[in-house]
Amino acid sequence: MSGILENLSLGCQVAFSMGNLFYCFLGVLIGTLIGVLPGIGPVGTISLLLPVTFGISPTSAIIMLAGIYYGAQYGGSTTSILVNIPGEATSVVTCLDGYQMARQGRAGPALGIAAFGSFIAGTIGTIIVMLVAVPLSSVALRFGPPEYFSLIILALAILSYLAHGSVVKAVIMAILGVSLSQIGIDGVTGRTRFTFGLLGLQDGLGLVPVVMGLFGVAEVLENLERSLNIEVFKTRIRHLLPNLKDWAESIGAIIRGSFLGFFLGILPGGGAIISTFVSYALEKKLSKHPETFGQGAIAGVAGPESANNASSSGAFIPLFTLGFPSNAITALLLGALMIHGVQPGPALIEKHPDIFWGTIISMYIGNVMLVILNLPLIGLWVKILKVPYKILFPVLLLLCIIGSYSTNNSRFDVLIMLIFGVIGYVFRKFGYELAPLIIAFVLGPMLETSLRQSLLISKGDVSIFFTRPISVACLAIALVLLVSPIILRQSRRIRAKIT
Amino acid sequence: MKRYLLADGLIWVLLGIGICAGSVTLKLGDFRTPGAGFLPFFAGLLLGISGFILMLSTLFSQEKAQRDEAEGRDRTGRHFRRFVTPAVTMAILFGYVLLLDLLGFLLTTFICLSLLFKLSEPERWVRPLLLSCSVAVLSYFVFSVWLQCQLPKGLLKFW
Repeated sequence: MSGILENLSLGCQVAFSMGNLFYCFLGVLIGTLIGVLPGIGPVGTISLLLPVTFGISPTSAIIMLAGIYYGAQYGGSTTSILVNIPGEATSVVTCLDGYQMARQGRAGPALGIAAFGSFIAGTIGTIIVMLVAVPLSSVALRFGPPEYFSLIILALAILSYLAHGSVVKAVIMAILGVSLSQIGIDGVTGRTRFTFGLLGLQDGLGLVPVVMGLFGVAEVLENLERSLNIEVFKTRIRHLLPNLKDWAESIGAIIRGSFLGFFLGILPGGGAIISTFVSYALEKKLSKHPETFGQGAIAGVAGPESANNASSSGAFIPLFTLGFPSNAITALLLGALMIHGVQPGPALIEKHPDIFWGTIISMYIGNVMLVILNLPLIGLWVKILKVPYKILFPVLLLLCIIGSYSTNNSRFDVLIMLIFGVIGYVFRKFGYELAPLIIAFVLGPMLETSLRQSLLISKGDVSIFFTRPISVACLAIALVLLVSPIILRQSRRIRAKIT
Repeated sequence: MKRYLLADGLIWVLLGIGICAGSVTLKLGDFRTPGAGFLPFFAGLLLGISGFILMLSTLFSQEKAQRDEAEGRDRTGRHFRRFVTPAVTMAILFGYVLLLDLLGFLLTTFICLSLLFKLSEPERWVRPLLLSCSVAVLSYFVFSVWLQCQLPKGLLKFW
């Protein structure tokens, strides 16, 4: 207990320093802004700001980037409620009841409960991270290379299983991500791989240009196909503080959503998005008046909004305990840590307690800042919503160009970003999900290292992966996850033929 | 439409074969001492197999293919018009990369932004020019002067 108090005091010292308070504020402010604006997400923003963080300490960088992540979850609800366009994919469900509440003149309580629900969920999530991360990382310290290898395979299998479209396409994306991570000089043999004689590829593909292309440029190109004429629902936003009846209807949903969101957020892949749908379905099932869902039920806003915020806290568990990203955003945070010379993994909490505990405490502070930013300043966010996309998109593209150029002051990186922009756009058109690609791209070098180390330990005997309990369990679960959709589909087809 | 979906799978098969072939030239090594091509070879192999499974699933899912074909017929006219703006935008951006070192950040950004703003407001001239000028100058001061990013100066070396 005294250990936790000591660490909390260290975290307070770090998070309450003027510099870190500023970066935390900047992060949640930018997060809310991009959450409000449809057409730019936290992935694009974090990759854009990654080069800007090179000049600051790793702790400040992670505090700011994490602020953007959870801040975007707050901001996303504003557009869902007022415009019926989700600012983020995690706010899709909020449209169902949030927009209906706005139409009934209850935009204020809808926005209020979304902000308070997010605050409570963010706080619960942060407390669980604080309590769970340290014991988990000490367990993870006992993991050897075979366990790491199998765990990465499992993470990629979960990602593919949870993909929204075809599992095969998600698997293809994951394999492509691993293949792309192999470009450049091989650290062990010193041979250059798949560089085609291009000097710019010798150090491999940069994370920033790849992510910016796949998420930033591709998203802009997709939005350019359709006109994004945003019409804000004309209503007076008043009574932001929900009344007692609203609270009574929402508090259960908030608490259930918080725990659900947190644990689903730990899973690799679309944990945050799934948690909002599961929370909505759960609240509808538990409600005494399920017929009100879709007609403006406040629990239909409170549950999913809490779930998406708690899941952003849950995503920090694999990042801090195993050094594993669970989604594209934590993949970028992992990249940011590595760029700053911090080796992510189970030893991170022990070696860099300032980063871990400073980030944890800053998440508390950030949640308070977000409530202050989101409720009294709601009018400002509504005004920002009215900025036409035709003005916004050239600026977004310019920011992507500057971001990828300034990482290495290289024109080649901008070219890579544009090429991946086109690739990302085409992939989206053909129904390929990009999250498995980017996570596999980040985990690829770790996968290769653990594979080589395992084979070295076992003197070339591959049974090392099947004789160690954790490793074999991970591989077995991965196999079940990958094969089960095919078996289920076949059995459904046979059943349909019989009937 | 089904042809396109089959080509989709075929691309991955070919890419997988390409990666495997590239890996073999890098030397695979063996299980005791894996070479530089060891992991890429297996990645290429799995990619090829997955592409093949994708092709098979397209072949056998008649119903889906027919539906997609109907949708494809329905939207062909509008479909291609939708791609014009993204294609022109990309052409402008590739031009930006070509000119960046020669003309420098400020000039290239001004030209590129003018074209992008003009793309969304074809009937106007003054507003796109004013907007692009102000965004280019503002971004120069924020990134080059304030954040000290090393942006290329090109023709405006003296500035």
